[in-house]
Amino acid sequence: MKRQSQPGFPYHLGIGNLQDVATKSDRVCVLNILGGESRQVTPTSHAFSGGNVVFGTSPGRAGQVLRTSSGDIPVYNNVREGIDAGHGFNVGVVYLPPSGVRDGVAELVRVNDALEKIIIITEKVAVHDAREVRAMAQSNSVDVIGGNCLGVADSWNQVRLGGALGGDHPEEALTKGSVAIFSNSGGFTTTIAQYLATEGWGTTTLISSGKDVYIHYSARDFAHAFQADDRSKAAVLYVEPGGYYERGIDFGKPAIACVVGRWKSKLTRAVGHAGAMAGSGDRAEDKERWFMEAFEVPELFTPNNQVVSAKGAVVTNIAHIPAALTAVMRLNSIAPDFSSRGSLALKPWIADDKGLALPAELALAPTEAPNPYNAQIGALSQQIGAVIARQTMKDTSGASKMDPKTQVTSVHGHSVLDMAMEPLEAIFALPLVHEIANENDRVMLDIAVAAEVNLTGDPILAATDAAREAGNAPNTIMAVAAGIVGPKRIDRALACTGVLIDLFAHSGLLEGHDEAFDSSSVQLNDKHRGLFAATPEEADDPRPQAILDGVKARGGKSAFLAYLRGMGTQLNRDGLLAALALTIAWAPLQRKRISRLTAETLPWYLRLYGVMIGASIPSQNHQPGSLYGIPRAERFSHWTMADLCFLALTGKKPTNGETLPLQLLIGLLISNGPGAISAQGAKGAVAADGPQTPSRVQINKAMMGFLTHCGFSHGGNGFEGIAFLLEQFKGSGLSDPSDPNHGLDLQAMAHRFATQYKADKRQAKDLGQDVRALPGVHHPVFKGKPVNVDPREQFIAAFLEERGEYNVFHAYYRELVKALYDVGASPYIFCVNVDAIIAALLLALFWKDYEAGTMRDHDLEQAAFNVFLYGRMIGAAAEIDDHVNRGRNMDTRTPASQCHFVV
Amino acid sequence: MEITGMLHGATLLKHVDFPATEVLGPGATNDQIQDLLTRYGQVFVKPVFRGGVGKKGKAGLVGRATNLETALAEKERLYFVEHRHGNAIAKAHGVTFEAGVPAEHEVYFSITDDSRFRAPTMTITHQGGVDIEELDDTEIATVPFDALTGLKAFVVANALTDIKAPRELISPLVQHLPKLWELVHNYGMTTLELNPIRMRPGRGARLNPIACDFKGGFDRDDPRVARLGLPDQIFAADVSPFEQEVNQLRTHQGQSDVFVINDKGTILAPTFGGGANSLVTEVLGESAIISSDFGGNPPYEKMKSVASICYRHFLAQTNVLFIIGGKSNNTDIFETFRGMGDALREHFSAHGPTPLFIVVGRGGPNLVRGMGNLAETLDSLGLPYRFFGFDSAISEVVNYAKDVDAWMQAGGREEIGRTLGVAQSALGGRT
Repeated sequence: MKRQSQPGFPYHLGIGNLQDVATKSDRVCVLNILGGESRQVTPTSHAFSGGNVVFGTSPGRAGQVLRTSSGDIPVYNNVREGIDAGHGFNVGVVYLPPSGVRDGVAELVRVNDALEKIIIITEKVAVHDAREVRAMAQSNSVDVIGGNCLGVADSWNQVRLGGALGGDHPEEALTKGSVAIFSNSGGFTTTIAQYLATEGWGTTTLISSGKDVYIHYSARDFAHAFQADDRSKAAVLYVEPGGYYERGIDFGKPAIACVVGRWKSKLTRAVGHAGAMAGSGDRAEDKERWFMEAFEVPELFTPNNQVVSAKGAVVTNIAHIPAALTAVMRLNSIAPDFSSRGSLALKPWIADDKGLALPAELALAPTEAPNPYNAQIGALSQQIGAVIARQTMKDTSGASKMDPKTQVTSVHGHSVLDMAMEPLEAIFALPLVHEIANENDRVMLDIAVAAEVNLTGDPILAATDAAREAGNAPNTIMAVAAGIVGPKRIDRALACTGVLIDLFAHSGLLEGHDEAFDSSSVQLNDKHRGLFAATPEEADDPRPQAILDGVKARGGKSAFLAYLRGMGTQLNRDGLLAALALTIAWAPLQRKRISRLTAETLPWYLRLYGVMIGASIPSQNHQPGSLYGIPRAERFSHWTMADLCFLALTGKKPTNGETLPLQLLIGLLISNGPGAISAQGAKGAVAADGPQTPSRVQINKAMMGFLTHCGFSHGGNGFEGIAFLLEQFKGSGLSDPSDPNHGLDLQAMAHRFATQYKADKRQAKDLGQDVRALPGVHHPVFKGKPVNVDPREQFIAAFLEERGEYNVFHAYYRELVKALYDVGASPYIFCVNVDAIIAALLLALFWKDYEAGTMRDHDLEQAAFNVFLYGRMIGAAAEIDDHVNRGRNMDTRTPASQCHFVV
Repeated sequence: MEITGMLHGATLLKHVDFPATEVLGPGATNDQIQDLLTRYGQVFVKPVFRGGVGKKGKAGLVGRATNLETALAEKERLYFVEHRHGNAIAKAHGVTFEAGVPAEHEVYFSITDDSRFRAPTMTITHQGGVDIEELDDTEIATVPFDALTGLKAFVVANALTDIKAPRELISPLVQHLPKLWELVHNYGMTTLELNPIRMRPGRGARLNPIACDFKGGFDRDDPRVARLGLPDQIFAADVSPFEQEVNQLRTHQGQSDVFVINDKGTILAPTFGGGANSLVTEVLGESAIISSDFGGNPPYEKMKSVASICYRHFLAQTNVLFIIGGKSNNTDIFETFRGMGDALREHFSAHGPTPLFIVVGRGGPNLVRGMGNLAETLDSLGLPYRFFGFDSAISEVVNYAKDVDAWMQAGGREEIGRTLGVAQSALGGRT
């Protein structure tokens, strides 16, 4: 059927008026209606337009329907079946994949005589097919819109055809007004409509033209229909480089052209829209010129240079369209359609600066989003702390990672080497809060842990005594103690933490140390008040007051302690522990660095730290109010974690500088990644409890998992290096290992040993026996070069050297590796490994006691093991907390198919 | 996707039996060149550019030789010659030796899809061998023809008559030129230009058209191009490993071409929508690392793969990860943001943290859900961010991202690096 074409056009153009582009009477057939994109878009279009889709096709799926809120749309195998079933339509919408588009168009034009318009949504249609589509449509007098477009819409008729203009909520973008939009960009079609509303302009017809080489419904076609449309007082065009579609057009009414893409002339290839390739004479600059000539303006419009005529203006930024339109319309004495809606100023909806001090122009505070987004964002902001997706965590950690090249492990981004440089109290909370503690937080941690170490009167002491007497290793003794710190022993502290989090969550408190924070709006009810108050049985407990005094003495600040002090009642230990812990956790929680779960369980870890260190101190040294004779007040008000660990190991108060080697040792031992046996034990314990129900995970049992997965080979082997050094230095007359003038000829000692070692080695070889391995020498990764170094050993050695610290044992090791090579016992110079420096530091720590006879071999072995446990408990806490937050129930098990049976 | 020159042009023309000048490739031996010289009297030595370059700036890039010595000297001069036009630099990878075809007449012929007619269009003149822009309109015929029936002999005959072409040209051109439509239409071409076609006298003084230069554009969205069996590297004109990798994921469901704008840039901007792509790249200028359009509702897996590739190649140098688009109509924000966020998390897991500031400007379905999900990921990675909705002007958001980049370069990068525990030496990027 030959339809009427518009007069004056050398080709067929059916649409003569923008009012006819998308009308209430249009009836639509959608090809590939059940395709992924159509399934999302068509139901909204159908419902918005009052149910205009009569049927869709999807070969082989006849009989199915596409459900929409305005009723089901029937699906047929092909167009003919739909028509035979009595459905008439005048608009075909093509959602077919690119290779099917041409055939779809052929089907539509051949099968349906009543067809007037085809809208092609598909992108990346081959030019070959576009050519033929154009030819077919022309010879059948059908208008085509697209391809690679989002269809058309009419704000007056409240109809959209084809694509997704206006998204899920077309009514938001399609506001009735007087401006017609024609855009090469689908996304910008509705973006421009939304921008226009900020100056009070609504829309008539919106056309997403697509930007393929073939723009089947072009700017010229649009201009013709625009002139005939009485509703449209002005037009906005968004155009990109490529093609001559916009040259020499008379719009007859005011128009704004936005031409974008000057940068594309720098490129030689098509970018973004397929047809937007800069050719000759159709660059962005050329198009700007065409429009400037059409509108009779000498320059581009910018906010600072508002060049307009009554005919129009040319802009190069879509944000300038509304102002340009208003200026042009003013010259035509036409007022906006309605009062301004919103503005285009920068309005952050969601922001988190992670505590960075941004300059004011960047630190824009979030503003309220429009409806309904504000309510959705409000719901999000109720969320406190980070939300972490669960996954299988077998052999996987979100906390620790060992670099296979350097063998250096890091925990939450901090390498053990860096952590070894920090005071212990700065890193004990790191596994939980993911940050190195600041001065104030260190105060909180020192006191919180110190308050748990003295176990006088606690059945734990009896249990650890029994365990010790039974000949258990230090890890087992610690495990016994941890086992007793079960859920009921921590219930109240955790409940207190939960209450404080709820109370302060949306109070505006940003830092836990902010005592100046006005908490007058934070109200504690009676039930919760009872949680923090001392019970009659606790009335005589001196520790809560000692804790408060300790904080005061150290100048510690805590918004939570300040708040609890304001209650005016005697507080209990658990409430104070909760306040101390939350002071540390608050800022990371607010910054969403950690989850609420982590913040809430922090008191449990702090109590466990204290009890586990306490358990390594024999029971006779725990007395009421004092530990090894050191009074509580002194420990609470001055002592650091390192002091406490030193005391636990040596029974002595450290003198100046004595804790440094201990700090280094503990730092180095924190973690060896999730593959370490101790980490596996901790993770297995968590997995077995089921982290998907985190309240059931027994953190103390997970600590036992770590402890039971240490032993004489893993953790206790620190003594091997010490034993080796003792062998070398026994009877040497060494009095002070830190004195460089020790008077020993280390080179000769090393040479002597190396010579003997070489002989032993040869003999062992002759006998077919294994050669004795030297602890602290050589490493499977750092080997094979003429001179080898373990970067960890090197790092610590450099640190000690810088501080002028000397260690004779370490110096001996360095001589030894050279001597081994010199005598031919090693093929190259082996590295001194990190175990050597650990042994050297440990032995130096205890040498004087050992020489004095107050410590024996057994004591040294116990002490070395305990140092390992102190360090590794930090790493274990990191794995436990990570697994509780991320893991799935029983995720560490190995499928039977991957297990092996041997005989 | 373009090819220029006769090295491959002659092969393509063979598909439709269109006569072409004899051509030797870069590997031609001295004997072969001498043989060509002996038979034709002269050869043209031309550099080979992968993917082809425009004609502008090509002056001096063609050598003419009548003896072997000159031919070899020209080969040495042109083998690695550079062609510059504006910002685009192309380096030659070899030369061709093309037989000189003595002729009285040179014809210009092209077929392309012309937006003025929205149809395949033939342009022809018998005054070829020069830039046709230099000719008078009356000497050139530009004739659209029906794509369904193709370029017919009568269309060529009419055009030649209109421009008053010498009558001895008409018959041979009418006979041969329609074949070229078959090449264009059936092998996924968008443009074919032969200039010049030299009219060489043959038997009985009948003139034969011989194509002496070739320029072709190919449609990367058309699978018919594969029928030509062209080696992939022909189109690999200075394609970076990143471009090659990321564009393998190009399908009709999201993602147009992705290009590297400045491989030393500091803003990595996954952009959604062709319009946004134009605007963002224009405003970002040299700060932008890539130009991209990931719109078109890519599914989660694809978005994640594309983001992973972008991160792997460029995250280490990036100061601002800038996720930007208008108010999407059908691209699911939750799915795309989840894809990009998860890829970021995996990248950090595998390669360690890198200092980043994330700026987002977006609208569309599931917007707040998407923002919430991304925020959770960024929180867990300890990265600062600021998300703008669709009610902020997109150009203002782009300017904001530039301001953040400037702050990052002025010390912000180190500051974020410190909070992430990234060692100074590992900070990388441009600060």
